Amino acid sequence: MSEDGPASERAAHRLYETDGEATRDRPWIIRTYAGHSSPRASNALYRSNLAAGQTGLSIAFDLPTQCGYDSDDPIARPEVGKVGVPVNSLDDFHVLFDEIPLEQMNTSMTINGTAMWLLALYVALARERGIDVAQLTGTTQNDLVKEYLARGTYIFPPDASLRIIAEMYEYCLDEIPSWNPSNICSYHLQEAGATPTQELAFALATALSLLDLIKQRGHVTDAQLSRTVGRISFFVNSGIRFVEEMCKVRAFGELWDTYTRDRYGVSDPKHRRFRYGVQVNSLGLTESQPENNAWRILIETLGVTLSRDARARAMQLPAWNEALSLPRPWDQQWSLRLQQILAYETDLLEYPDLFEGSVVVESKVAELVRDATAEIETILGMGGVVPAIESGYLKSALVRSMSDRVSAIGTGEQVVVGVNRWTDGLPSPLVGGDDGGLFTHDEAAIGEAQANLDAVRAARDDARVAAALASLRAAACDGSSMMEPSIECALARVTTGEWAGALREVFGEYRPATGVEGQTLGLAGDRVDALRQRVQALAATLGHRPRLLVAKPGLDGHSNGAEVIAVAARHVGYDVVYSGIRLSPGAIVTSAVEEGVDVVGASVLSGSHVELAQQIVDGLREQGAGDTHVIVGGIVPAADVDKLRAIGVARVFTPADYELIDIMESVTDLVESGPPSADVA
Amino acid sequence: MVNDLIERARSLEKTAVARLIGVFEDSRPAAASDRARALDLLDGAAPDDDPGCTVIGITGAPGSGKSSLLAHLTLALLDDDPALTIAVVAIDPSSTVSGGALLGDRTRMRSPLDERRLFFRSQASATALGGLSPSTFQVCRLLTRLFRCVMVETVGVGQSEADVRHLADRVYLVLQPLGGDEVQFLKAGIVEVPDAFVLNKIDEPAAASSEHHLRASLGLARPFDEVTPAIHRTSARNGEGIDELAAALGDDIRSAPRRSHSDREPHFLLRWVDDEWGRQGRRHLEVDLGGAPALLTRAGGFDRAQVVFDASIRATLHRPSPPGPAP
Repeated sequence: MSEDGPASERAAHRLYETDGEATRDRPWIIRTYAGHSSPRASNALYRSNLAAGQTGLSIAFDLPTQCGYDSDDPIARPEVGKVGVPVNSLDDFHVLFDEIPLEQMNTSMTINGTAMWLLALYVALARERGIDVAQLTGTTQNDLVKEYLARGTYIFPPDASLRIIAEMYEYCLDEIPSWNPSNICSYHLQEAGATPTQELAFALATALSLLDLIKQRGHVTDAQLSRTVGRISFFVNSGIRFVEEMCKVRAFGELWDTYTRDRYGVSDPKHRRFRYGVQVNSLGLTESQPENNAWRILIETLGVTLSRDARARAMQLPAWNEALSLPRPWDQQWSLRLQQILAYETDLLEYPDLFEGSVVVESKVAELVRDATAEIETILGMGGVVPAIESGYLKSALVRSMSDRVSAIGTGEQVVVGVNRWTDGLPSPLVGGDDGGLFTHDEAAIGEAQANLDAVRAARDDARVAAALASLRAAACDGSSMMEPSIECALARVTTGEWAGALREVFGEYRPATGVEGQTLGLAGDRVDALRQRVQALAATLGHRPRLLVAKPGLDGHSNGAEVIAVAARHVGYDVVYSGIRLSPGAIVTSAVEEGVDVVGASVLSGSHVELAQQIVDGLREQGAGDTHVIVGGIVPAADVDKLRAIGVARVFTPADYELIDIMESVTDLVESGPPSADVA
Repeated sequence: MVNDLIERARSLEKTAVARLIGVFEDSRPAAASDRARALDLLDGAAPDDDPGCTVIGITGAPGSGKSSLLAHLTLALLDDDPALTIAVVAIDPSSTVSGGALLGDRTRMRSPLDERRLFFRSQASATALGGLSPSTFQVCRLLTRLFRCVMVETVGVGQSEADVRHLADRVYLVLQPLGGDEVQFLKAGIVEVPDAFVLNKIDEPAAASSEHHLRASLGLARPFDEVTPAIHRTSARNGEGIDELAAALGDDIRSAPRRSHSDREPHFLLRWVDDEWGRQGRRHLEVDLGGAPALLTRAGGFDRAQVVFDASIRATLHRPSPPGPAP
């Protein structure tokens, strides 16, 4: 509590201004993670969200933009406009931010592998609009560590990726002082199964490794390093165990304060403050009884808002139907209203921290701090987060945690209402509308995005484009900053695919550890034993152990589901071929053919399951391997299940199929039934 | 069915090659006669100037970077020689509990569908330690008749080292920099077998001292070598040394002394007998049948030797043949 003013006139449960006036806190920045189909369609959505009382923008880009491909690249085509907006050039940015005042907007961009490019586009847009670049505020997510571990939209190897992040910090420090060049994400680690301790440790170790690198590069003075520490922000998850989550964000604050003071000598407490934004947990949202998710989202929101000392700075919430499809505008509005009610209707923002002095909370926080510190020191002892990625240490730890979680739900030890308890429910009227409660894409808008790309290529000055790309490559090679050359590329109308392509030539593309080697599953019991015997019997009948190819086609990098299936299949006795993410349907067909597998299992979470499954089935038939079973897992709406069946997909697994043993029994039924007829229409 | 497959496999059509591999991996007794027929057809169709095949073993501990290295080397080799064709067989350990395996070696490999000159196949070792699969030799009998070069990638420990030695014409051991000294190389007993060494990940700080320790260990462990085996220095990460190693492999493929198909058979017949019948089988082979080479000659090849052995030991032990058509 503040020293000035007679303490006797102040109540411990009230907030006061320094002049003694009673006050309440300003709400966090209220956002909705949004973007789809085309820049024009997304612009209309942003403007209507802002009109509905949203106070910042959170941009979702489509996977080609995130992975550095133009919309007309063959690997990109099935994914254009699916999970976000496609951005091919500066002209698309002009449309995307049309009539939105950049200088007043706090813009968060969920962008990683191509973060430098999207920041360059934003700066170039401000320059062309005549806005002072120094006024821009916002965040580029730009945390490649969690991309390698969980999300999958990395492009370059770790060294090159961290260099790009460091260069963005060095550039923003004076050019755009209120920009967060990166957002260290523990969010995706929890989605990948991380425990609270792992979330704390892996995210903080990532931040420390980044700061170590910036310090070691020697481009910043001590005073600048202190400001750089002050620019590091975090993106945190909040799960259903909301008391522990509240303690976790308090532990984050304590650990960050300690490490930045002791390791970098940051004396200004403002620069040591743990600043974070939140999206609450999606992993625990269920497909069955989806209306229950509304309550889960509310409870998870409490975990990151109740404690004033550890309250989120910005928040975006998932929608109740996230396990069914991408959210519709109405679904997003429903989640937005939750934030508004909590911030403006309730008395939450009137009080100081509610948990100060709580023995229970202090003890829990101390435990988390102790365990996380031990893990952070282990990672730093390996030489930091890059060696811990390259050796597969972090990935293996996550795959293990995820397998434990899935096993606990399977055994009923972890209760999920509507999934493993109280599963009988009345039909939900929420999914009874004309659209079945699902989002549908605007196919015409996607065509428009591709047409714009042709127009840009036709109208630009090719010599300027070539020169801009040449200086980008030169900077990448000689170690100088790539930021200004990237801005010139943006102004010259270089495309997203060209920018990433130039750097791919210099840095190469990274293939990380899959994390599945040596993993086991805590799944046992009569059904596992019986299944192993069936698989053994199959091996005798077939003359070989049944072989399963687990495939992640397309650009979607959410590989946790695929990895758990790979581990589970081996657990019951399959020989499993798994080669990691981002494979073209062609590469998957090659693997299936060369490896002579009995079943190809494709996991798709981007909404492109129909196109990708079609390409795999067609490819196998063209190669004379149409007698291979194809199964699909992912977020597949019921209407698409029939489409997939018609294509020739033998089984479709959705989030409702959470029991691994059920899935493996079903796959084994399929193999026992013999190969499919090779020439089904 | 086999006749049609042979024709298509000879032009390296991927589906046909894979299906034939299925025949050579097939554990059912009936598959032996299909194998014998396939080999007869292949040998009959081989031209007089058939260039033959070089088998290269690539061994090394997990994490030494074999897969990344192979991905780079195969592409470099195919670029250098348009007539070259390569099959890679990569072996991963199986679980002792479930029998299943995770086969992840092709993660680093990118072979386009229309590139018939490169074929990649994963195998499960059927043991927890790794090493060759019981069917690796069988599959190599096929692939050596289809490709100019077969590369066998495996974890080189214990018994499997001897297996690779008997299968390959040249064995490369891939090592990663160690923090320790020559004692580690000696204790591991890994320096005695290979024809050449690859010190990978030389971009790592410990690389220089590791090379020194390796050279010192070689002097101690192999004092009778006339020529010190080559030590290739590579980094799959920055590409250093890849071209030089590819050139060395290219030389091996063109000019290293090769085993004939029948050279390899005695060892793997013995291994098969071991796997199927254990010590009792071994004794029967040595004492009653005069040893593997004699049996192979008498029976007329590997597949027939298996049939003869199987019948002979069953008669001795009064065990009936397994169900199914006679092999």
